[in-house]
Amino acid sequence: MDHIFPEVHLGGIRFDLAAIFMIVLTSIIVFVMAKLAVRGASVTNPTKMQNFLEWVIEFVQNIIGTTMDLKKGRPYLMLGISMIMYLFVANLLGLPFGIITEAHHGATFLGMELHMEGEEAHIAWWKSPTADVAVAGALMAIVIVLTHIEGLRRNRKHYLKHYIEPYAAFFPLNVIKEIAKPLSLSLRLYGNIFAGEVMIGVIMGMGWFGIPALIVWQGFSIFVGAIQSFVFVMLTMVYMSQAIVHEEGH
Amino acid sequence: MDIVWSNFFIQLVAFGILYWLLSRYAFGPLFSIMEQRKQFVKEQLESAENSRKQAEAQYEEQKQSLQQARKDAYDIIEQAKQTSTKQADEIVNTAKSEATRLKDEAVKDIESEKNKAISALRSQVSGMSVMIASKIIEKQIDDKSQEQLVDQYLNEVGSK
Repeated sequence: MDHIFPEVHLGGIRFDLAAIFMIVLTSIIVFVMAKLAVRGASVTNPTKMQNFLEWVIEFVQNIIGTTMDLKKGRPYLMLGISMIMYLFVANLLGLPFGIITEAHHGATFLGMELHMEGEEAHIAWWKSPTADVAVAGALMAIVIVLTHIEGLRRNRKHYLKHYIEPYAAFFPLNVIKEIAKPLSLSLRLYGNIFAGEVMIGVIMGMGWFGIPALIVWQGFSIFVGAIQSFVFVMLTMVYMSQAIVHEEGH
Repeated sequence: MDIVWSNFFIQLVAFGILYWLLSRYAFGPLFSIMEQRKQFVKEQLESAENSRKQAEAQYEEQKQSLQQARKDAYDIIEQAKQTSTKQADEIVNTAKSEATRLKDEAVKDIESEKNKAISALRSQVSGMSVMIASKIIEKQIDDKSQEQLVDQYLNEVGSK
């Protein structure tokens, strides 16, 4: 059985209510978690949550440290922390359960008409926001645009020069490389998370026999979600370092 | 692939807001706390190093003063020993000389007493002789009795 996402058309623009809802929810979870962790934060006697958050900071610092000089990478620490926390929560959020409602043609949500092809549809309200290609693309766009801006701002000469290296004839290849980076970054994230959710849907179709498989797959999905958020931030920092660090020997 | 483009922009804005909120309310304070902790640890390490140095210096100082005290004590004992030996010698010497003096004085006293006694005896003998003579004259006796008397007195004198 196919599930569609709740869509409404406002002023000719399509809005995916499920994605919007999950984006907001993920952001709230991340912010509340961080806010609770730093509440009553102290210098000498950190709470468990504070320790956890400091561990996250150090983790991202290590990621930055492996790709570039930590001093140059300091401005991107906050980006890395926000990104990894958001992605981790977003990737795992779709796993535990699903909310599916049955709707008939002409059903409304908060006075907005839900858009559907047929007469009747099952609408999935709960999913990982990153299982949507546009959401993954937006996160990718933030990173890629930032790398190009930072490359131009902080390392202009070498950044521009790297398009025609080693020879001017390599310019098209370098452009392809720059286009491949964002594509792979966003599609990797989207593909992994979306596939995980599709698999969960498929396993659910197996009925009671699917429970052991579901347990295994959910465990694996947690692993995949964590790895994907790590990989995304890691690649962010790698691209950033490629853009801003002037390589020796060139 | 069905792309809902509104999601793209919503996610952009949402992440921007999340980034701002996190850096403003959560990680900003946390970074400053971590910085403070770094400072705190540095200070603690420095103060620990300082107190270690101080303790070492004090230990050295105390060791030296202990050494000094030991030496002083030894000196004092040594001195006391010397003083006591000297004093004992002095006392013995004084006692000896006192004894000698007393003995000499006693000898002198004996001598003078003897001399006094002799002179007293002498004067008595002369007095007695006069008395004997007067007695003899008083009695008017014969030779025989006179001789007897002289012997008698001489014997008296000699026995004295």
